[in-house]
Amino acid sequence: MAAQGAGAPALAVRGLRKSYSGRTVLDSLDLDVAAGEFVAVLGANGCGKSTALRCVVGLETPDGGTVLVHGREVGPAGDAGSAELRRRTAMVFQQIHLVRRRSALDNVCAGALGRLPLRHSLTPALFPRELREEAMACLDRVGMADRAAEPAGRLSGGQQQRVAIARALCQRAEIILADEPVSALDPAAADQVVSLLAELARDQGLAIAAVLHQPALAARHADRVVGLVAGRAVVDAPASRLTAADVDALYVPDLRLTHLEAS
Amino acid sequence: MSRAATSAGAGPLPGGAAPAPPRRRPVSAATAAVAVLVVAAHVLAWRGTEFSPVALLQGWRGMADFLEQALPPDLSAGVLLTGARAALVTLAIGLLGTTLSVPSALVLALLAARTTTPNRWAYQAARSVLSFLRAVPDVVFALVFVTAVGLGPFAGVLALIFHNTGVMGKLWAEAMEEIDLGPRDALRVSGASGTQVAAHAVLPSVVPQFVGLLLYRFDVNVRSSLVLGLVGAGGIGFLVNQSIKLFRFGEMVTHLMLVMVLVVAVDQLSAHVRRRIGA
Ligand SMILES: Nc1ncnc2c1ncn2[C@@H]1O[C@H](COP(=O)(O)OP(=O)(O)OP(=O)(O)O)[C@@H](O)[C@H]1O
Ligand SMILES: [Mg+2]
Repeated sequence: MAAQGAGAPALAVRGLRKSYSGRTVLDSLDLDVAAGEFVAVLGANGCGKSTALRCVVGLETPDGGTVLVHGREVGPAGDAGSAELRRRTAMVFQQIHLVRRRSALDNVCAGALGRLPLRHSLTPALFPRELREEAMACLDRVGMADRAAEPAGRLSGGQQQRVAIARALCQRAEIILADEPVSALDPAAADQVVSLLAELARDQGLAIAAVLHQPALAARHADRVVGLVAGRAVVDAPASRLTAADVDALYVPDLRLTHLEAS
Repeated sequence: MSRAATSAGAGPLPGGAAPAPPRRRPVSAATAAVAVLVVAAHVLAWRGTEFSPVALLQGWRGMADFLEQALPPDLSAGVLLTGARAALVTLAIGLLGTTLSVPSALVLALLAARTTTPNRWAYQAARSVLSFLRAVPDVVFALVFVTAVGLGPFAGVLALIFHNTGVMGKLWAEAMEEIDLGPRDALRVSGASGTQVAAHAVLPSVVPQFVGLLLYRFDVNVRSSLVLGLVGAGGIGFLVNQSIKLFRFGEMVTHLMLVMVLVVAVDQLSAHVRRRIGA
């Protein structure tokens, strides 16, 4: 993908802060994800991983900090000037969040809603032909083209997660943020989905950050690992140089306790 | 913890070190006060409605006379035919009243559900309109519309459209507020507008609930269109009212039997369909 903003990473998060009723959840968080890079985000329960991702995509409003996409600052959610910039980021959820009654194909097409006028998008019947073809290509990319007509709710968890990734592709996102995309999947399906994300980063030049709770998966597939403790990035290392001690430090029970007591 | 039960290996854990279980709270003064208030309200209601089993017993003669005149029902072909025709009109009032209230109920429900409303102002406004339509009984709407469009079934249809919009809009809005917000968030992130999110995430998730509520309201509306007939808005209710005024009680019973057939048929149909769609 063409580099814009000369050398700026696809996604740059600077000094992100968020607290809920006085309790600090994100404490000046920095995070970079370059085009073509697959970053695994690790951290104990409650350290702020989901909050960070939700702030970046605008599902939560951060108290402070900036989000830059290709070097351009993204305005607050609902800001019309930033709509086009926001559309470049897609999110994939642990709970998948497909519409269960709609077909896999219609779910994938829905990723494109942001660039469709209402007259082409009020119901799936109005989706233009080119969009359906593009959505089929996205499904094919994740290996789900043969199940396109099936209601999403009838697919297995791993298959649904791949459809959700196809929806992100159909959005033409350049950045994909995945919040525990494989936590509900069996080990084989989990490995399949994570390696799909890694391939998309490598082959399609997407910038991908995925929250994972399995350090082994991160070590096997990620280019870089970012470790969060209490809303700060304390580890940032190439996956190949990540040590067991680094990982253990993220999950030290004492650290979490002192964090809880301090807050 | 019972000591006798602790001898076996699988018995309860010894309770020694654990803190004692909290005591049950005694009945508070507030609970007692509420109980007194509830009883007092019932006493007042009993007086206010002149509730009197004695009066009922003393009046049994009147009822016996009435039944004597009403039975056997008048099953002549003419009465049956006009009755059946009027029952179909009643069914038609219920059907149109339900169907034609769908667009208005849908729009108001979308504005009045926190999951789909564009802003607080629209939410409050839509809620108020729905509350008003729900608060005014359909019979009152019927009386108003009879003065506008005259006696007949059309007034009944109008009355049902208005009242049913209020009830169904509220029920639909509640159904939309109960859905999982995940799919909505997922589409929001992709840049979909509010209308697109409603059309592609919220509405598809609530189709079974919407159809179930629609059928339930159809069932209710057929029954109320009967009452609407009593105040002049056409259908078999109108015939029941007429036969009472003309002291043709045998005819009235025939009409009531037709009503029963109609109500049971609609009820069965709607229950069957609701079971099939799992709503
Ligand atoms: N809407 C909210 N209101 C109040 N507190 C919240 C809210 N969302 C998150 N929190 C709190 O913020 C902290 C971080 O939550 P977050 O979900 O980001 O953690 P996480 O790192 O994703 O954890 P997990 O690994 O369990 O998913 C938690 O203590 C949580 O209770
Ligand atoms: Mg989380």
